[in-house]
Amino acid sequence: MPTDVPPQSGGQSGGQSGGKSPADAWSAFSLIPAGVLVWGVVGWLLDMWLETRGFVVLGLLVGAVGGLYLVWLRYGRS
Amino acid sequence: MGGVPLAVEGGFEAPGPRDFEFPPIFGEGTLLTKPMLIVIVATVLVGAFFYLAARRMAMVPGKYQYAVEGVYGFVRNGIVGDAVGREGLKFVPYLVTLFSFIFALNISGIIPFVQFPATSRIAIPLFLAVISCVIFNLVGIRRQGFVGYFRNMMFPSGVPWPVYILLAPIEFVSTVVIRPLTLTLRLALNMFAGHLVLLLTVLGGEYLLLEAGGLSAVLSVVPFLFAFILTVFEGFVQFLQAYVFTLLSALYIAGALVEEH
Repeated sequence: MPTDVPPQSGGQSGGQSGGKSPADAWSAFSLIPAGVLVWGVVGWLLDMWLETRGFVVLGLLVGAVGGLYLVWLRYGRS
Repeated sequence: MGGVPLAVEGGFEAPGPRDFEFPPIFGEGTLLTKPMLIVIVATVLVGAFFYLAARRMAMVPGKYQYAVEGVYGFVRNGIVGDAVGREGLKFVPYLVTLFSFIFALNISGIIPFVQFPATSRIAIPLFLAVISCVIFNLVGIRRQGFVGYFRNMMFPSGVPWPVYILLAPIEFVSTVVIRPLTLTLRLALNMFAGHLVLLLTVLGGEYLLLEAGGLSAVLSVVPFLFAFILTVFEGFVQFLQAYVFTLLSALYIAGALVEEH
């Protein structure tokens, strides 16, 4: 591969295109596990504190929905 | 050696996580183990590979210089050019180093007599992922300012403010925890699983050939054939994982460079 070819500015996903490329699929992925993790832990802590059960499930679901919503916010809007 | 006997008592012992633990090379009480030795040798080799080429740079490249430039060009044009664009040129040296180092540590899994992918020890990918994480966060902070970077990261526009309570922690954890974590696990577990499968085919073949007795020796052709095919496949996976790790690092840097309103 010759090295004297300058990379195209912008490229597939580069700066300005506003996020609609296969590259963004990679970055979008981490939002869903993050949502599940954060709100799952919050729910679990609530369960520990209040000595209840069920907040952990609620937390996991809320986190998953929140993560999906964020993916849509960042990458789904046209 | 623990492990679950598969068929009969004293029968075939399947390889397991214990095969990834090595005693110190120079006996009890010393530090150096085989994965550490692989890391040291790979560091020296990768360093020498680039240093020697840089020292004898010629206008008309020979075969060696062509190979070195091939690696550099692959990362520059194939990874940075597509993912980041012109602004990413600053990060090419880091990404070339990252790619070559990971590739050297991965490929050590199928080099005869070495045959252990050092990246299957999770500390190594973890450390590399933390370096990438620190870099892309610093790039973002320098580009957008400390407040601006975290505001853009955690508060996407067009949402009523109470929803931020739900979303902001998700974005933060996603960028600062999940990204390096997935980088680490993807690389380490791919190398772990690949090495385990190779061990299984080779040890299984050896067992059939030498210990099972009778007609089983003939059957050992099957696992050995698989060992060969999977070694080739593993070489491909080892390249691919080095590529993916580098590509994602580049993409995260690209994301930090983008200024959102």
